[in-house]
Amino acid sequence: MEAQKSATMTPRTNVASGRRSLGFEKTNLRYTPGQLTALRIPTSRRKPNTRNDIDPEQLAYIANIEWKLSYVTPLYKFRHTQLVLYSKQLSAFIVAEKQKGIAVEVGPEMGFKVVFSVVLGMTETDEDAETVFIKICSKPAFAVEGSAVKVVWSGWFTCVNGNLDYMRSLPSDFVSLPLFCTNGPESITALVKSWFTRMFDCYFGPLSLNSSILQWLGALWTECHPASNIRYLKLAWNLPTLPPLDISYTVHPQDAWNLWSSIRQNDSMEDGISIEEVRRFMKGLESHFFRHFRMHLSAGMLTRICTSLGSAHCDGTIKITGTQYITPVLMLLTECAQLKMPI
Amino acid sequence: MDAAAEALLRQTVRRIPSSKLNGVLGRWGCLSEAQLGSLESMQPKWLLCDNLISLCRENDLSMKHVAEVEMLYCIENPKRGMWYAYQMVETDDEAQSLELMHFRERFKAHLKDLIGHVSIKLKRHQDESVWIRIAWGDNFNRPNHLKPTYVMHHLQTPYVFVSGLTNKHKPLLFQALVLAAGYSSIKNAHLNGRCITALRDLLMRQYKQVFPSSCPKPLKESNPLPNPNIENEHAKLVEHKQRAAAEAFGYEDPPKLERATYKLETKYREHGNESLNGRDEPFRGVVKFTSSNLLESLKYCITSGMASTPLTPLLSSITQKGRNYFVIRDKGPSIASDTLGPDH
Amino acid sequence: MSSIKPFSKLPQLNTANVLLVENEGKLQNDLADAIVQQENNVNVTVRLARGLPLPAENEENRPRIDLVVFIVHLSSELSLVSTENSLKQLDTGYFLGKVCFLVTGARCGLVPDERLVSLRKLAGSLHCPLLFAEDQTREGVSTAAQRVLKILRVSAGLVPMVTGLYLSSLTRCTVPLDSDGSVQD
Repeated sequence: MEAQKSATMTPRTNVASGRRSLGFEKTNLRYTPGQLTALRIPTSRRKPNTRNDIDPEQLAYIANIEWKLSYVTPLYKFRHTQLVLYSKQLSAFIVAEKQKGIAVEVGPEMGFKVVFSVVLGMTETDEDAETVFIKICSKPAFAVEGSAVKVVWSGWFTCVNGNLDYMRSLPSDFVSLPLFCTNGPESITALVKSWFTRMFDCYFGPLSLNSSILQWLGALWTECHPASNIRYLKLAWNLPTLPPLDISYTVHPQDAWNLWSSIRQNDSMEDGISIEEVRRFMKGLESHFFRHFRMHLSAGMLTRICTSLGSAHCDGTIKITGTQYITPVLMLLTECAQLKMPI
Repeated sequence: MDAAAEALLRQTVRRIPSSKLNGVLGRWGCLSEAQLGSLESMQPKWLLCDNLISLCRENDLSMKHVAEVEMLYCIENPKRGMWYAYQMVETDDEAQSLELMHFRERFKAHLKDLIGHVSIKLKRHQDESVWIRIAWGDNFNRPNHLKPTYVMHHLQTPYVFVSGLTNKHKPLLFQALVLAAGYSSIKNAHLNGRCITALRDLLMRQYKQVFPSSCPKPLKESNPLPNPNIENEHAKLVEHKQRAAAEAFGYEDPPKLERATYKLETKYREHGNESLNGRDEPFRGVVKFTSSNLLESLKYCITSGMASTPLTPLLSSITQKGRNYFVIRDKGPSIASDTLGPDH
Repeated sequence: MSSIKPFSKLPQLNTANVLLVENEGKLQNDLADAIVQQENNVNVTVRLARGLPLPAENEENRPRIDLVVFIVHLSSELSLVSTENSLKQLDTGYFLGKVCFLVTGARCGLVPDERLVSLRKLAGSLHCPLLFAEDQTREGVSTAAQRVLKILRVSAGLVPMVTGLYLSSLTRCTVPLDSDGSVQD
């Protein structure tokens, strides 16, 4: 508990030095065919701390919605100052595509409106680009003045605590916003992606969450339990049997926290969590399961992690409910997205 | 033929696949040969449905008849929703010699005593099971035939299988059942699934002998390697595992269950975690297994080595005890004991 | 339980014997069929095992094993762990060019990167080649069989002028480097 307090008291300006002290001293390297990339998988992370400097009204757009994740390569000549222009251009692009006969379901009505906006403060370092939020609302043809507009599609680009080495290596005209989250009809997502691809010479790809990312999320959320009740820790696996077998294990939050804190006790790192601890936590749960059912969960794949703070599925969807802990989650996802970047 | 009957008929026809429709209508026996002939090979289905309704009007059929066709189809294809098993306890001698006629009279009388507006149909199926269809109403509404409760019961056995029952009507139905069959109370058998024959086989194995675990027949040669140049070093091990799996979960087609739930209230006991091992409180959690055919999946787990043998009694209890919901607590006061057992 | 040794038995004329070790038993049957079908000149026998050590009762009629192939499915952590355990039971003589790893699922986006990294480290530290295979398609299995056969012919001594040790020094997996360029354990 004290460790948590000291983490929240760490001034923002110390972030960069904190990162270094957490260290990459023992890192795993990632390979792309033929060459070694400079991006690594960190083996330790900072403990989650609460954030309240992001506009709650803007956070409300992000919370409680299931987002589909994609990664996107750096945007060429993207300017945060041109958002009004982009709104008009994307809007015109969608109209043009509709006239070409491509089925776009913005709503039964013809009218719709595209709004680009900036979510200020969703960054960790000065080099992170500010988050860009896009909303597509339907405008009923015979709208009564003041009637609520319906958001048919929303999406946002973000970068929280991006890899500094990577971002510094980019030419100055590129803006790195590697994580793209969408919610709404696939057809609109495809249109928005194709407009961005043409305008900013970037490439989109699906971002799936592998088991080690899900394990990290499970540990990060469990770590928050004393401050904000997680209510349950639910893990789901899929075993490749014929027919496939799904196993879900819902752990009582207090017991999950007890196991986690018993693993944390022996640790020297005050404000960080190491991958070793996360692995031991998961192994602890798996071996308790094994003692009962004599089944190896490691033969299957972790597919889902849920707590009342949020849920994540391996196919690349995430829902964040506890917005006070949004930064550690976005840091993790930014990292995942950056690992997909071509070098 | 009122609007409610028409709605039920439409719903029923929608549910029955075209290939089976003519057979069901034939067995129903409310339409003449000529009328059946006129419906045959009529497409699309809505057209057939319209014609069927006008024929029913012609024959002056009512809700009673329409409910019959729905019941007929349900008995033959009981794959709608979840079925829950219950067990009646403490029989008196009367229950052993109960006749269907007697049961029918008593059940109807008891249920009508408890609730006024209710429509009950009883039918005996070929396999000696008794099927009951109940449409519930209340003081202000007529019985709702679109959401009936189905009950399946074998006379002379304590088991009852129920589908589509709301909590509101549960005590009424149970009281009527217990009184009619001559038992003193009824309890949850902790078994549910979509396939009623699987539930019946699991619970009544002593009557139906679907698990020949006492007399294992030789396993079917599992894909003997045809090539003399290929040899399996672990052939014996694989065969042993297959036998273990088959003994626990049945040989060929195991009963089709969809899920099993375990509530774990056992202590945490792993090496290298002393601070948690010393605690007296249990490590609470709920484990759910789901699959389109759970027992088949579990068999695969064992043969492929994803589950270690010997098989844990927790999993084999599904077939041995005929349950798929368990609460697991540590046995006895001793912490060192490593025995776990499903409680009763 | 019996442990196999590369030179404890005499070789037979024009014969090559391969042992496929796979915990799940998913791929080995198909792969064995493909291997036996593809080779016409040499008498190839395939032995299948779920893990090492092998059961003692087959000791008598087991021929000399010329190549041990460990099949690792990256989608399953258990597969990697059981391979590591089996490796401990293998006679050291085999690591002189008579062991290779066959990996499936390396392209699947859901596989944690660390798993492939640790397998590469394992193969690198043992100086063994790492073959990547596709197990979902027929073509993938037959390509994998072809590759295994190529190595098998060499390690069984059926290719003139080449030995298994020589081939594996060319094809072995390299140990991943740390950023400083030093070899990491």
